[in-house]
Amino acid sequence: MKIGLEIHVQLPTRSKMFCSCPATGASGPNEHICPGCMGMPGTRPSLNKEAVVIGIKLARLLNCTVPDVAWFSRKIYFYPDLCRHYQITQYETPIGNAGEYYLDKKRIGITRAHLEEDPGSMKKSGDGALIDYNRSVMPLVEIVTDPDISSPAEAREFLKALLNDIRHVVDLPDDGERSIRVDCNISMAGSERCEVKNVTGLKNVERALTFEAVRQTKVIKSGGKISRETRHYDEERKVTTAARKKAFEGDYAYIGEPDLGAINVKKIADTITTKESPLNMAIRLQKEYGIDEKIAKQIVNTSVSMAALFEHLARKISAKNALMWITGPISSGWKTLESQINEKRDGITDIVIQYEKDEINRTECSMRLKAFIFGEDPENMKKNSADLDALIKKAIDENPSVISDYKKSDKAANRIIGIVMKESGGSYSSSDVVEATKRILNGMI
Amino acid sequence: MTSDPRDIDKKYNIFSETVPSFNIKRTAFSVSDDILVKGLQATAGSRILDGYYPVFDATVVSRMNAAGCSVIGKTNMSEFGMSAFSAAGVDTPKNPFDPERSCGGSCGGAACASAVLDGHIALGTSAGGSISVPAALCGVFGLTPTHGRVSRYGQIDSVSSMGPIGLFAMGSELLKKFLPVISGKDEKDLVTATQPELKIGKRKLRSVAVPKNVTDGVSDAVRKAFNDSLDVLKGMSIDIEYVDMSNLRYAMPAHYILSVTEAATNLAKYCGMRCGRQDGDLSLPFNDYFVSFRTKYLGREAKLRTAMGTYMTLGDNRRTFYLRALGVRQLVLNGYKDVLRTHDAVLTPTMPFIALKFTEIEKMNSMDSYMASRFTVPSVFCGLPSLSAPCGYSDGMPMGIQFVSDHWNEDVLLSAAELCERSFKIKVPEVSP
Repeated sequence: MKIGLEIHVQLPTRSKMFCSCPATGASGPNEHICPGCMGMPGTRPSLNKEAVVIGIKLARLLNCTVPDVAWFSRKIYFYPDLCRHYQITQYETPIGNAGEYYLDKKRIGITRAHLEEDPGSMKKSGDGALIDYNRSVMPLVEIVTDPDISSPAEAREFLKALLNDIRHVVDLPDDGERSIRVDCNISMAGSERCEVKNVTGLKNVERALTFEAVRQTKVIKSGGKISRETRHYDEERKVTTAARKKAFEGDYAYIGEPDLGAINVKKIADTITTKESPLNMAIRLQKEYGIDEKIAKQIVNTSVSMAALFEHLARKISAKNALMWITGPISSGWKTLESQINEKRDGITDIVIQYEKDEINRTECSMRLKAFIFGEDPENMKKNSADLDALIKKAIDENPSVISDYKKSDKAANRIIGIVMKESGGSYSSSDVVEATKRILNGMI
Repeated sequence: MTSDPRDIDKKYNIFSETVPSFNIKRTAFSVSDDILVKGLQATAGSRILDGYYPVFDATVVSRMNAAGCSVIGKTNMSEFGMSAFSAAGVDTPKNPFDPERSCGGSCGGAACASAVLDGHIALGTSAGGSISVPAALCGVFGLTPTHGRVSRYGQIDSVSSMGPIGLFAMGSELLKKFLPVISGKDEKDLVTATQPELKIGKRKLRSVAVPKNVTDGVSDAVRKAFNDSLDVLKGMSIDIEYVDMSNLRYAMPAHYILSVTEAATNLAKYCGMRCGRQDGDLSLPFNDYFVSFRTKYLGREAKLRTAMGTYMTLGDNRRTFYLRALGVRQLVLNGYKDVLRTHDAVLTPTMPFIALKFTEIEKMNSMDSYMASRFTVPSVFCGLPSLSAPCGYSDGMPMGIQFVSDHWNEDVLLSAAELCERSFKIKVPEVSP
């Protein structure tokens, strides 16, 4: 089974793609329209630079080649919601060409990513239909994958990961999932492909593909033939139905869009610094600071700003120590720290630098970090900590065999931790007890 | 203005629509019917747009208004500017020198208006000579600026990659006055964004190139008038050199391909749903609806070009015709650039014959009709500016000479216009309402 997706992502620009109508916030149908959105004769498109900028960012995210110069094309088809009966899109020079995306180890080729405008939306009403042009001329990026996806579940996984990455690069609204529309192409080995148009939502993509896989397999098994066609997914009945015979690219009679001319993409691209996707960031941290792949991913997945803090510290002190503080006290205090990271970053940096300069020892540094993160008095904490240390030492004294057991397996520490937790009646947090116990035991072996 | 233009209109069929009243103290101007004026019906000569009352002014109209001018009406043109003879439009304008004859086109009404109305400046559009052709046949000056010099926002397109808005006037002074008014960048038309500033100085015309064998196949009268004009120019110590520009012959077929492919897309929007006529049969499935409505209301030439344009971009034809025509455009442009490096302008007759009688036009086949604009098409095809100036008369009918200069060099054309005005005897048609 081969699956390829065409993913339409509506871009979060303030105004539409080729006119200055607002892109959001219409209170009713046909509120945010102008002669341009209606395709009135005499209007011509101007270009929203913001859409090009976002297009470049997404192309980079997908590791695509971004052309130096790009132009737009007219794709001709007659449909009532398409105001000019041609859609302004990109044909020869997509904003992103030949990229790739990794879903864990699995490579999914990206054929292209191109900018285009959305048509209006049509709603059946009685015998006729009503057309709302609010959506007309809204900016989209269409991401076309190679047919590298091998199951409906993988398609869903891929979309989920991709959307997550896209959100880090451009500020898609949280309800963005509904504004993602996917055309799902699926074929069985040696058979023609069918395209299920305009499926919204990840769950529906998986369902529509699964339905198609079963349907096509049945047809082939009973000796039938799959013909190339466009199908429609019925969300209520959870089935796909034939819509029309699929048009071939050549039927769209593409010509260049003379009204927009050639766009100097390079000039725009040179001014953009792209936010990294979490995946790309993990790969880079691993390479640049020589840390373990698993740990790099773990940090990035916990929080991109924790990874950013790591990177900040690793530039001031050794990467090894930075990692130690990040996975130690910073990680255990992260819930509290995350919301105040901007104010506390410098304070944290100062503390770890003191350790790096040998001005304080490891215990002292660890404690100061904790006190700083939780906004507590370090002296008070020190006393608490000293009390905790005393409790632990007492427990070890009472169970001396722990030391030799601990040498064999660090699981032996759990015995002491259990005793201390019980005796202290929960007045210390478990992470503190764990940390202190291990520190003391490490010092003894 | 001495007499009401509406009386004159009755005789010549100039206007498709006039304003109810206008300020006679302001300079009167008109626009061809494909240039939008808020509230005035705009049909671009097509029945399919009957009842389209635009809600905004074209940029050129706003700029003319801001310069203290007053629009008096929309001038007749052939349907979507698709004929060189203004005969296929809604209403056919008559030649100011002989009402039995055509004004030429597509902007016949505009050329006629500038010939018969005192001090009138007429705006028109050109996609292959629609300014030069009627200017020559009506005995007026027609200036086609560089593509991108004048904003086309508010111009109903047939062709998009060529076809600027230009000016018609009885004298060079009006061109010089109003070209700067309508020129300049406009954020509503991106094609204007890269233009250098328009400078109108005293740049003189010093040397012109004439393509070899340029008068082959033209009428005797046109040949004589053209050669006489060359003698006059020589007498003004302008260098004239015959050059080989055989690449120009490829311009006609390639221009045809690009203009029909672009027209097929530009005309696709007309389907009786959003503007213009709204009386299609809505009970039909939408594909049948589109076909029946467009069959009924598009004219013959518009349908022919839509079909040709679609055919030339489908499947492999796209490479065979469309992409190759784009390459040919570059070839033709290179030919011009070579010559214009050493000459100020390329000089040809504007039309191969004088204005035709309507009875003669009826007998023309479409190939002859199309080839009639062989002198005016190549420069517009390459986005180059041009000027047609009256240069002589035969049987009382005017003939024109055409100057083509390099991109953005309209100043050379304006000084050529002054030169022609001084050197050639220019007749104003007698108007009796």
